[in-house]
Amino acid sequence: MKTKKHENHTYIIESEDMERKNEMLLQYIKEKVNQLLQIMGTKPLRDEELNDESLIAIDPIGIIAESFEQVLDHLKESNRQLQLARDYLQAVFDTAGVGISIIDRDLKIIKCNEKQKELLVNGVSQIEGRHCYEVYCGIDSPPLICPAIETLEMERAVFLKEVTKKGKVFQIVTSPLRDRSGSISGVIEVSMDITEKKRALEAMCQSEKLAAVGQLAAGIAHELNNPLGNILGYAKLLLMEQDTTEFQKNRLEVIIEQAKRGSSIIKGLLEFSHQKMPVFERISLNACIELALRSLSDEIRSNNIEILTGLGTVPYVMADPKQMEQVIYNILLNAIQALEGKGGIVEIKSEALNGSVEVTIKDNGPGIPKEHLSRIFEPFFTTKPVGKGTGLGLSICAEILKKHSSNICVESEVGKGTKFSFRIMGGVTGNV
Amino acid sequence: MADKSGINLDVINLDIRGQICPACLLISLKEINKHKGLLRDGEANLIVKTDHRDATRTIPDAAIAMGYAVFVEKKKGYYEITVGRKDEDQKA
Repeated sequence: MKTKKHENHTYIIESEDMERKNEMLLQYIKEKVNQLLQIMGTKPLRDEELNDESLIAIDPIGIIAESFEQVLDHLKESNRQLQLARDYLQAVFDTAGVGISIIDRDLKIIKCNEKQKELLVNGVSQIEGRHCYEVYCGIDSPPLICPAIETLEMERAVFLKEVTKKGKVFQIVTSPLRDRSGSISGVIEVSMDITEKKRALEAMCQSEKLAAVGQLAAGIAHELNNPLGNILGYAKLLLMEQDTTEFQKNRLEVIIEQAKRGSSIIKGLLEFSHQKMPVFERISLNACIELALRSLSDEIRSNNIEILTGLGTVPYVMADPKQMEQVIYNILLNAIQALEGKGGIVEIKSEALNGSVEVTIKDNGPGIPKEHLSRIFEPFFTTKPVGKGTGLGLSICAEILKKHSSNICVESEVGKGTKFSFRIMGGVTGNV
Repeated sequence: MADKSGINLDVINLDIRGQICPACLLISLKEINKHKGLLRDGEANLIVKTDHRDATRTIPDAAIAMGYAVFVEKKKGYYEITVGRKDEDQKA
């Protein structure tokens, strides 16, 4: 501070000036102490509580500064724990075996885990912030039936037992997401892929159905064969009688025809139920194809079918020749029947493929609708008119091929036709 | 200052009855700062006895912000504010 001792009045002025400045400084410190106290959650100090002496004695700024240090330490520790909890949660979120999405009230995706992206998102890079119906359902506006909307409106969890999306089967659970006040701020959607589980369950049902059919068939088929044989025999005898009228002959022919049909159903059932183990021999599939075509020559002719054969040079295979002929026969018969007597082309090919032989049978019939494709190998499933098919042909094929460690493949397009194919492992030297 | 504090095993007593708030907050904070090691480690609890009602709000608010657990109990004619380590199993 500047002092000018040689001039008395100036000294007094300067001393008053210093006192005023000190007061200002004390006032400033009091204000700051009160400000800090307010931050610490208390009321401002009254003048009598914080006079100049107590300001020094209590050292409020020192106390508060040290307390702030603890507040900061506490905040740092809280942050660290929060980060840790977030990391754990994120790890669980990302590695969960189910798809998880968090959706807000406007149906916009806030967060979505990797599994959910894998299950439901195809080629969309930016997911967060977009509407769930747009990303998951591929539509521009919310659907009429939506578990997320139902959860938001009804404020309860919604469970969808089975939903088919993007070729997969899902179970979906939506649960309300509540904020601290308890009101609903969004929805947590969990999707479980049950495609494989469902397939396994269906396969199990199929096996059970097959076993039941087997038992039933074995029980009654044989018993029915004898009376049917008698009906057929006596009807034929009556037909040979001299005095049978034309009207009676017509009726007898119907009896014979129906009895034969009954026999063929029983034959199918017996074949299906006997589940004979194949007798493996070194055979030529081309020979089986030729035999099957010969057996079907009447049907081919009467239905006006053009057969295109493309039998390649294929290796011998180890298979049961009768069963292979039956598989080819059944598929060919199916193709012929699919053309409904309107004529058409059936193409049968055999070719060598990586040491195995692939047989393909293709028709240009009406094709199989998508909803029937998964059922055509079920026993008794048929789309043919009543009396035209038993629904056993293709299930017999599937069973036989299963025993040959193979399976039957089908591709079909409505209006264009159907293609069946199967492969039998080669492994026997020498070509046909 | 009516600072009658003293360490009694794991309890640090601070009797500020008769003090007017907010000075009692400053005194309590000073005591918390002084024993922060023991309090943080859970080796001691600070028990503040005050007859000022406002202190039952200001002291807990400040102590909670500093990361302590606080428990207020009404006694005959005064309040007892216990400040200690934040622990799920520990009440104070």
